[in-house]
Amino acid sequence: MIQRKLSIILENKPGALVRVVGLFHQRGYNIESLHVDPVEDLKEYKFVEDKLNIKLKEGEVSHLIIATTVNDNLLRQILRQINKLIDVLIVEEVK
Amino acid sequence: MKLAGNDILIQSLIEEGVEYIFGYPGGAALHIYDSIFKQKKMEHILVRHEQGATHAADGYARATGKPGVVLVTSGPGATNAITGIATAFMDSIPMIVISGQVAKHLIGTDAFQETDMIGISRPIVKHSFTVDSAENIPEIVKQAFHIATSGRPGPVVIDVPKDTTAPDKLFEFKYPNDVDIRSYKPPIDPDPNQIERAVDAIIESNKPVIYAGGGAINSNASEELIRLNEILDFPVTNTLMGLGVYPATHKRFLGMLGMHGTYQANMSMHNADLIIAIGARFDDRITNTPKLFAPNAKIIHLDVDYSSVSKIIEANIAVFGQVKNSLLEMIELLEAKKELIDPKKILPWKEQISDWKSQHGLNHEMHLCETDDKPIMPQAVVQHLYNITNGKAFITSDVGQHQMFAAQYYHFDEPRKWINSGGLGTMGFGLPAAMGAKLAYPNDEVICITGEGSIQMCIQELSTCTQYNLPIKIININNEALGMVKQWQDMNYGGRHSASTYQSSLPNFVELAESYGHVGIKIEKNSELKSGLEKALSMKDRLVFVDVYVDPDEHVYPMLVAPNGSLKDMWLDKETKT
Ligand SMILES: Cc1ncc(C[n+]2csc(CCOP(=O)(O)OP(=O)(O)O)c2C)c(N)n1
Ligand SMILES: [Mg+2]
Repeated sequence: MIQRKLSIILENKPGALVRVVGLFHQRGYNIESLHVDPVEDLKEYKFVEDKLNIKLKEGEVSHLIIATTVNDNLLRQILRQINKLIDVLIVEEVK
Repeated sequence: MKLAGNDILIQSLIEEGVEYIFGYPGGAALHIYDSIFKQKKMEHILVRHEQGATHAADGYARATGKPGVVLVTSGPGATNAITGIATAFMDSIPMIVISGQVAKHLIGTDAFQETDMIGISRPIVKHSFTVDSAENIPEIVKQAFHIATSGRPGPVVIDVPKDTTAPDKLFEFKYPNDVDIRSYKPPIDPDPNQIERAVDAIIESNKPVIYAGGGAINSNASEELIRLNEILDFPVTNTLMGLGVYPATHKRFLGMLGMHGTYQANMSMHNADLIIAIGARFDDRITNTPKLFAPNAKIIHLDVDYSSVSKIIEANIAVFGQVKNSLLEMIELLEAKKELIDPKKILPWKEQISDWKSQHGLNHEMHLCETDDKPIMPQAVVQHLYNITNGKAFITSDVGQHQMFAAQYYHFDEPRKWINSGGLGTMGFGLPAAMGAKLAYPNDEVICITGEGSIQMCIQELSTCTQYNLPIKIININNEALGMVKQWQDMNYGGRHSASTYQSSLPNFVELAESYGHVGIKIEKNSELKSGLEKALSMKDRLVFVDVYVDPDEHVYPMLVAPNGSLKDMWLDKETKT
């Protein structure tokens, strides 16, 4: 098993982050590192706007990066479960 | 129109078409209760415990397909609702739970009856909201109903700090027409390529089985499933949650599968070369040891929830979307390719299945044993109920042996008639769930098949039934023990009945029911069984509590051999293993 980095764009709302973090604990996955910032510079996040066909405003969403060690099957499962959270816009593995 | 927060909340619920709200008042919810008092469109049902409110709303939701709505106060009111929220979550039932909360300026101060409801409920809700201002209530309610009822349904909590419902601050009220949550887009229509692959696999198969679960009921896909199988004529099995989605009296129906599934259903799954899973999630009560599950089967999996597919059993062909829509697309393509379907090809498979059924199928004649020298068999109670009600009643149940006998022996021909806690297995569910179903369908027969253990977990709701005149029938299959626990102890713990019997401390249920103003009937002999049940069911406008004493030593069979067994490994009776 190797360490993976997940990149998650989620609504910058109270409680949104804890749902993602809580999910890791609930499903028995370990978080090895975690970094989160509100998205201020929108230029780099045009892919979010294009993918979901929306317009973002400064500070409206957060970018979360989580590292965890899992195999391929579990990774797919984690990605799907995170994506299911209502406040999550996009989740993908950072290669 | 200008309204205060409390009225905005209630008007929003009325805009959503809510007919009943199940709840229990307390300090933090009092502004809201005052608004309820001032209107007539929605009826509040005062339960006797908040757990009862959640199960009643849940029963209403399962019977109707509409979301059940609950209102509780902060602190203990909210925590008492937790078991019912978890029950609804595990079975994907749409529910809205409004919990009172201390005023915003008190949050985080350990104020009287403060509890972090959003935090406590987070792992067992589909989503939750905290009301920050009365102005936002309409939008939050609109979103909550949308989330609870779309995609894979589930419970949504709205936590309402008391100050946001204060009657003295007015806001403009306008209920939104539309809802659009940019981060939430559950799939609806399937990918046509996957439909094509699924149909090709179906045409190629020699030993197919359709395995349909609760998701097919949630998606209201019963009619489409029946139509699909008019084309295919494949054997069909249902999960505990799926019973009724395919008619149990249909000749292709194999019965329930899994832990206490029929011999023919479990054998068919194990030996299949194609399993078409429809709104089912390969839960551990179904697969037994996943590594040993259906070794030769290709899996087609139709589901609305991405995370339910290939979670436990890898799907060869995944079809994401509302299963109703996916089935419609499959029907259309199968009709176009009809000449490629060879019905003769699967005849040997069907013969094999009918052999299995005749070898070890369930005994449907058990009720014919009516001599008084033998104790009443619990299965016979269910068989009589089935016959007396012509299979048309709503049946709610609790958890234990009685639940499995009900699932095995009451043959459900329609969806939403079988109402039980499958995922969480919550004792105490049956009586309040029956109240919710009865309120939704006052002219239909609603029967709660329960055990003397389970019924005592929400027995206080007998009082609610008196207040709102809910003439449900309670059939207490009384084996004077936590029968399912005792069965496991018999089978795996050398018959040591640790904490599974009550040493004659049980109440007199007949007198107990009577003290709440209901009718009680006690049945102890086979010769009284049929007439006693008929008498109970003939009292249309009374709640009747029937206390039936059954054989305390009876076990539920078949039963999967676990751990390390497959679906073909079953106990068929106390002595026989496959
Ligand atoms: C709230 C809750 N506590 C414990 C259990 C574990 N449990 C499962 S079945 C059972 C026995 C139920 O007894 P009873 O209602 O009399 O049904 P019987 O099996 O005797 O038909 C117990 C304790 C449970 N499912 N739910
Ligand atoms: Mg019992």
